[in-house]
Amino acid sequence: MDYQWDFSAVVTYWPVLLVGLKNTIILAAVCLVLGLFFGLFVGAARYSSNRLVNWPATAFVEVFRNTPVLVQIMWFYFAFPIISPIEVNAFTAATLGLTLNTVAFSSEIYRAGIQSISKGQWEAAKALGMTYTEQMRRIILPQAIRRMVPAFTNRAVELVKMTSLASVIAYGELMHQAKTISIIAFNPIEMYTSVAIIFFVLIAPLSLLVQRLEMKKRKSS
Amino acid sequence: METNQNTEVLCLEGLKKSFGDLLVLDNIDLRVTKGETIVILGASGSGKSTMLRCVNFMEVPSGGRIILHGEQVGKENQNGSRTYDEKSLSDLRSRVGMVFQHFNLFPHMTVKQNVMEGPRTVLKCDQAECERRAKLYLDKVGLGWKADAWPSELSGGQQQRVAIARALAMEPDIMLFDEATSALDPELVGEVLETMKQLAEEGMTMLIVTHELGFAYTVADRVLFLSKGKILEQGAPEAVLINPKEEATKNFLRGHGSFRLPEPNLD
Repeated sequence: MDYQWDFSAVVTYWPVLLVGLKNTIILAAVCLVLGLFFGLFVGAARYSSNRLVNWPATAFVEVFRNTPVLVQIMWFYFAFPIISPIEVNAFTAATLGLTLNTVAFSSEIYRAGIQSISKGQWEAAKALGMTYTEQMRRIILPQAIRRMVPAFTNRAVELVKMTSLASVIAYGELMHQAKTISIIAFNPIEMYTSVAIIFFVLIAPLSLLVQRLEMKKRKSS
Repeated sequence: METNQNTEVLCLEGLKKSFGDLLVLDNIDLRVTKGETIVILGASGSGKSTMLRCVNFMEVPSGGRIILHGEQVGKENQNGSRTYDEKSLSDLRSRVGMVFQHFNLFPHMTVKQNVMEGPRTVLKCDQAECERRAKLYLDKVGLGWKADAWPSELSGGQQQRVAIARALAMEPDIMLFDEATSALDPELVGEVLETMKQLAEEGMTMLIVTHELGFAYTVADRVLFLSKGKILEQGAPEAVLINPKEEATKNFLRGHGSFRLPEPNLD
């Protein structure tokens, strides 16, 4: 191994990488917020006893759980614009792909979380005279969300990693910026090593948090 | 104490409940006067729990009328069936306390918060009133000292007493006990029955489904024996438990009396 490591380009092009980091964080944050928000509704729809409501929701979840995210992102970038009235740039396509994927997964987390609360909790709340909304808000969700937090944090970790897929449609996130620099500076080895380190520094605290939460959950149950 | 001891709190008329083709309750008629303690006995599957759960519409009856303090629950349709909107059912449930076999305390709230939850969320009482009720009813079940504990830190018997306090905090017209001691270890049954007995003595109106015949004999004003969804026999504890008339009641009591201790020497 007599390869001479040379990280000077990383320093030179640091501002370019920083833009990439910023875009990675923006993409992940937007998709996480939108995904968790709409996931609640899809999860509720899957929980519904009305077939007209739960079948489309189930179909949606199955489609997005059972196709690769990379394919979804490519599809939204290349195929979706043909049928869509709105302009689809790289950010929109990546956001659509990653958000809908997050919606599908988080709806399952919501559904499983709510279903994990025993029937007795609903009954006790109901017997006190609470309406359905009050039962949900005061008794069921506070308990269910506690159980969901580790799963959601895990999802956030996955999401940050998946943003790198947006590089294939030239969205200027970390991976794409690194690729660009490596072509200019002929140093893919150092660039991708740096990207790996940056992702690690970004994600490791989240993973640590998941482990902590799961340990806490195990203790409390 | 009320001057009129014969005030009718609850009236069931021709109560019916079926699950699919299975008729679980068949024309139940019952009048409960204020302060009365009624114990409902019956073999497994006789419909006693379902009857209790129909009173506060945890199960919606298939037919018949439920009248609480002279007010009939639900709105009558033109074809004679009834519809029940969420508001009026919530209102009914807030006036009927229920204690479950498995306690069902809210694990994310302390003991005190459990007791305050109904008055706060349902009755919209202010903080001071919620606190007052929590203290009053936790003291009544002897658990004021556990106010800041979490349900998971309590024994089963203590949890069930908190559940009783939680129901009492709504200051209900009537209390329903659905096998309140069946999930408890034998040595914890006594404290819960003692609490229930105390409530009965204080004049609470109670409907109790239980397998504790000794309790029924000592505390009940009236005992009902249910069989196949009908009230087969009812009367004073003496009449039903000591001198039963019906064969099914006798069989039931025989099944319960197989193993009996002589009076233990507890000195």
